[in-house]
Amino acid sequence: MPSISFEKVNKKFGDVSVVEDFSLHVEDGELLVLVGGSGSGKSTILRMVAGLESVTSGTIRIDDRDITHLAPRDRDVAMVFQDYALYPHLTVRDNLSLGLRLRRMPTAEINRRVAWAADMLRIESLLERKPKQLSGGQRQRVAMGRAMVREPLVFLFDEPLSNLDASLRARMRIEIGGLQRRLNTTTVYVTHDQVEAMTLGDRIVVLANGRIQQIGHPIELYRNPINRFVAGFIGTPPMNFVEGNLHRENDRVFFVSEGLRVQLPAERLPGSVPSKAMTLGIRPEDVTLADGKPTSGGAGAARLSGRVLLVERLGGTSHIHFDVGPHRLMAAVSGEDPPAVGDTVGIEVPSERVHLFAADGNALARAE
Amino acid sequence: MRPVVRAGLYAALTLAALTFIYPFLWMASSTLKPPFEVGSLALIPHDLTFENYRIMWSRAPFGRALLNSVFVASTITASVLVLGSMTAYAMARLTFPGRRVLNAVTMGVLLVPGQLTLIPLYTLIVQLGWIDTYTALIVPYLFNATAILMLRQFFLQIPQSLIDSARMDGMGELRILFTIFWPLARPALAIVAIFTFMGSWNEVLWPLLVVRDQQLMTLPQLLTVFQLGGGAGTLGVSLAAAMVLVVPVVVAYMFLQRYFIESMAGAGVKG
Amino acid sequence: MMQRPRPERSSMRAEQRSAWSLTAPYAAFLLAFAAYPVFFALALVFMHWDLVTPPSFAGGDNVRLLVTDARFGRAVLNTFVFLAIHLPLQIVTALGLALALNRRLAFRAFWRATFFLPVVISGAVVAILWNALYATDVGLINNLLAKLGGSPIPWLTDPSIAMPAIAVMVTWKNVGFYVIIYLAGLQYIPQSCREAIELDGATAWQRFRHLTLPMLLPQTILVVTLSTINGFQLFIEPYVMTGGGPLRRTYSVVLYMYTNAFSYQKMGYAATIGVALALIIGAVVAAQRRVIGTAEAA
Ligand SMILES: Nc1ncnc2c1ncn2[C@@H]1O[C@H](COP(=O)(O)OP(=O)(O)OP(=O)(O)O)[C@@H](O)[C@H]1O
Ligand SMILES: [Mg+2]
Repeated sequence: MPSISFEKVNKKFGDVSVVEDFSLHVEDGELLVLVGGSGSGKSTILRMVAGLESVTSGTIRIDDRDITHLAPRDRDVAMVFQDYALYPHLTVRDNLSLGLRLRRMPTAEINRRVAWAADMLRIESLLERKPKQLSGGQRQRVAMGRAMVREPLVFLFDEPLSNLDASLRARMRIEIGGLQRRLNTTTVYVTHDQVEAMTLGDRIVVLANGRIQQIGHPIELYRNPINRFVAGFIGTPPMNFVEGNLHRENDRVFFVSEGLRVQLPAERLPGSVPSKAMTLGIRPEDVTLADGKPTSGGAGAARLSGRVLLVERLGGTSHIHFDVGPHRLMAAVSGEDPPAVGDTVGIEVPSERVHLFAADGNALARAE
Repeated sequence: MRPVVRAGLYAALTLAALTFIYPFLWMASSTLKPPFEVGSLALIPHDLTFENYRIMWSRAPFGRALLNSVFVASTITASVLVLGSMTAYAMARLTFPGRRVLNAVTMGVLLVPGQLTLIPLYTLIVQLGWIDTYTALIVPYLFNATAILMLRQFFLQIPQSLIDSARMDGMGELRILFTIFWPLARPALAIVAIFTFMGSWNEVLWPLLVVRDQQLMTLPQLLTVFQLGGGAGTLGVSLAAAMVLVVPVVVAYMFLQRYFIESMAGAGVKG
Repeated sequence: MMQRPRPERSSMRAEQRSAWSLTAPYAAFLLAFAAYPVFFALALVFMHWDLVTPPSFAGGDNVRLLVTDARFGRAVLNTFVFLAIHLPLQIVTALGLALALNRRLAFRAFWRATFFLPVVISGAVVAILWNALYATDVGLINNLLAKLGGSPIPWLTDPSIAMPAIAVMVTWKNVGFYVIIYLAGLQYIPQSCREAIELDGATAWQRFRHLTLPMLLPQTILVVTLSTINGFQLFIEPYVMTGGGPLRRTYSVVLYMYTNAFSYQKMGYAATIGVALALIIGAVVAAQRRVIGTAEAA
C-alpha cells in the first residue's frame, strides 16, 4: 500500500532556494497537512509530488518506487486545484471521465467509476452541466470527483477550499475529511488555514521559508510548539507573546517584564538557561479573568492586572484585549457577560501552561 | 439632442452610408446592363443581361482563379492557425532557452516594412525554382507574426492549473493545445482566421511577382491582369470579373461583420 | 553523507524538448523568410543582378543612381503630394464619422458596418470600381455632375487632378478602419470629464477643441502613422488605374520598384529602392511624431 517518502528534497528556482532539505514519510492512508505562510513552499512541494515541478536534488518515492523523475501521468497521483481547473468547455461527466479515457480505460469501467464518484459526492444531477452552470461548492465536488475516479495511489489537495465562503468551507472540510477516511487514500493536503489543518490532519507539517519547522499530531503542535513560529501559527486566536528576561530567586524562576511577573515551573526548565531576551507565550484561551468564576489556577497561577481596551463579542465567547503595562494581550473567555471597556480586571495565567522561547525562537519550557 | 440636430445627423449618416454602399450597388447593377446603359445612375437595369458574365467567364479562367484563391487562402489560414498556435503556445506557456529571443524577434518582424524584403524574397523564390507554383504563393505566408502575438496574448490568460490538470490527466503538449486551449481560444482563433484569410484573398502584389501562368493566378491577380491586358473590353465585363472576388466576401461580411471589423481593425493596429 | 544534486531530467527537460519541437518550424521560417531577406536586401544594394547571369559587385552604383534618378525623385514627390491630401482628409472624415457614431443612435452597428465595407474589399477591386466611377464619359461621378449641371472632369487623365483623385479614393477605402480606431479612443474619454467641462459652461466646439481632440491624440498619431505607411505602399491603384501617368504624376515608389524588378530585371537597384523606402518611411514617421508631439506641448 502506498506511502510517500521525501529524502532530502531540495528545490531551487534559478538561484533561489524555495524548499530545503525536506525529508518526510507520509504513512499509507494518512492525511498529512502542510501548513505555512504564503510563499513558504507548500505548493511547490505538492507540485513536485505531482511531477509538475522538477526536483533540484533529493528523492521522492511512492512506496519503494522512485518517482522523482517520472512524468506526471506515470505517477498515479491525482490533484485537486485551488481554482478547481475544470475544463470549461466540457460537461461535468466529460470532466470526470477525460483522464480515464486518455488512459484508454474500458467504457464500462469509466461509467462505473463516474457513477460511483457522482453518487458519493451527490452530483448525479449535475453530470450534463458545464462548469459555468455550477456553484462554487458544486465545482469543488466535481474537482474532487475528477481526482476520485482515477482511484490514484495518492491524493494531493492545494488549498481546495480557499475559494469558498466561510460556512461552505466548514461543510466541505468535514466532507473531505469523511471522504478521505472512507477511501483511505494517502493524502497530502496544503492549506494556509490552520483551522483546516487542525481539524483535518492526522499529522501536520509546519513550513516556513521552505524548511520544516515541526511535524506532529495537531494537539501536539498545539501543546508543544517547538518554536515561536509554530506557536504563533497554530491556534486561534494566536498566542500572546511578551518580551522580557528571566529572574532567579532561590529555587524559583520568574519571567519578568515591565508590569508583569510570572513564575515558571522551574523543574521543567533546562539546567542552564540564558536569562536575557526571552519571550513568554500565553494562549488566549489559557487566560482567565479573576473577577469571573472561581479561578482554576490556584497556587501555580500568576496574577496580573490589566485595563480592558476592546471587547469582541463572538456570542458564546469573547475576545478581551487589554493592556498589562506596555504589553497588549488578549484573552478568549466564555460567558455572555464580559467586562466593559475601561474596566480594570484581574487576570490569571496558569504557570504550567505558559510557553517560553529563547532569543533564537526555540522553545524552552513547554506545557505538558 | 434637439430634433433638428438629430434629423441632420441621420441625414448626414445616410448620405455617408450611400457613399460607401452605392458604388458597390452600382457596380453590381452595371454588370447586368448592356454596354450603352452602363453610365446611367439607375440601379435597375433596363435590359437585364448576363452577357458580361458570359464574356468574362469565356475570356479568362476565372473559375480556376476562384479555386486557386480558395485553396491558397485556406491553406495559409490553416497553417497560421495550426502552426501559429503551436508556436504561440510554446512561447506563452513553456519555459525554454530561446524563448525571449523568439519573442523579441517576432515583435521586431512587425517593424520591418514589407517593401524592404519584397525583392530579396522574390529573388529567393526565383532561386528556389518556385516561380509559377502554389508553393511560392503559400510558403512565405505559413506563419504570421501578428497572429502569433495575438494568440500568445490570449494563451497567457488561460490558468496554469488547467495545464497542470491536463498533464496529470496524461496529456502531452499538443493534446493540451488542441483539446484544452483551442476550445477556449475560439474567439481569438476566429479573429486570426478572418484577417489571415482576407489578407491572402485580397493580396495582389506578391502573386503579380511570382506567378505568370494564368492557370495559377489567384482572383485579384487575374482580375488585374485581365483589366490591364484589355481582355475585358467593356466596363461591364471588367466589373463582372470583380464581382467574382467581391460577392463571397460581402456575403461572409454580412453574416460576420462584427468579427470582420474586430479582426481586421485589430490586426491592422498591431501589424 | 553528501548527496550531489542530480542533473534535472524528466519534466523540465521534456518541456524544453517539446518547446523546441513546437517552435522549430517557426524558427526555420524566420531565418528563411524574415532574417535572410533583410540581410540580403542590404547585400543587394551593392550588387548588379538580372537573375540570369551571376550577380556582380556594384559598389556604390545603385546608391549613386538612386540619388540622381529623377524618376525615383518623382515617385517620392508624388507620394508626398498624395499624403498632403490624404492625411488631412483621412483624419477629418474618420473623426467626423466616429463622432457621429459615438452618439446614441439607431442602427449603430449598421452604420459602422457600412463604413467598414470598403476595408474588406480587395484593393484591386476598388481600383477597378473607381476606374469606372472616375471614367470621363460613362463614369458615375461625371454623370452625377452632369445631373447637377456641371461639366465632366477628366479625373484620371489630367496630371494635376489624377493624384488627388487617387488620394480621395484611398481615403474612401480606408476610412472605416480609422473610424474604428477613433471610436475606441472615444470610449476611453471618461464620462466625468465630459460632465466637468459641461459644468464649466463649454460650448460644443470648446468641448471638442479642449477635451475630445486632445484626448484622441494617441489615435490621431496612430492614424497618421498607419496611413503614412500605407501611402508609401501605394501600388495597385496607380498600377490598375493610371499606369503611373499622366506625365508620371501618379507613379509610386513601389510601382517603380516592381517595374525595376519585374520588367527591367534590375534586382540590385529594386532592392536599393526598397531599402531607401524603408528608411524614408522611418524618417517621415519619426518626424511626424516629433511635430505632433511639439504641437501638443505648445
Ligand atoms: N515558477 C517559479 N519561478 C520562480 N519562483 C517561484 C516559482 N514558483 C514559485 N516560486 C517561489 O517559490 C516560493 C514558494 O512558492 P509556493 O507557491 O510553493 O508557496 P506557497 O507556500 O504555496 O504559497 P501560497 O500560500 O501563497 O500558495 C515563493 O517564494 C515563490 O515566489
Ligand atoms: Mg500555494
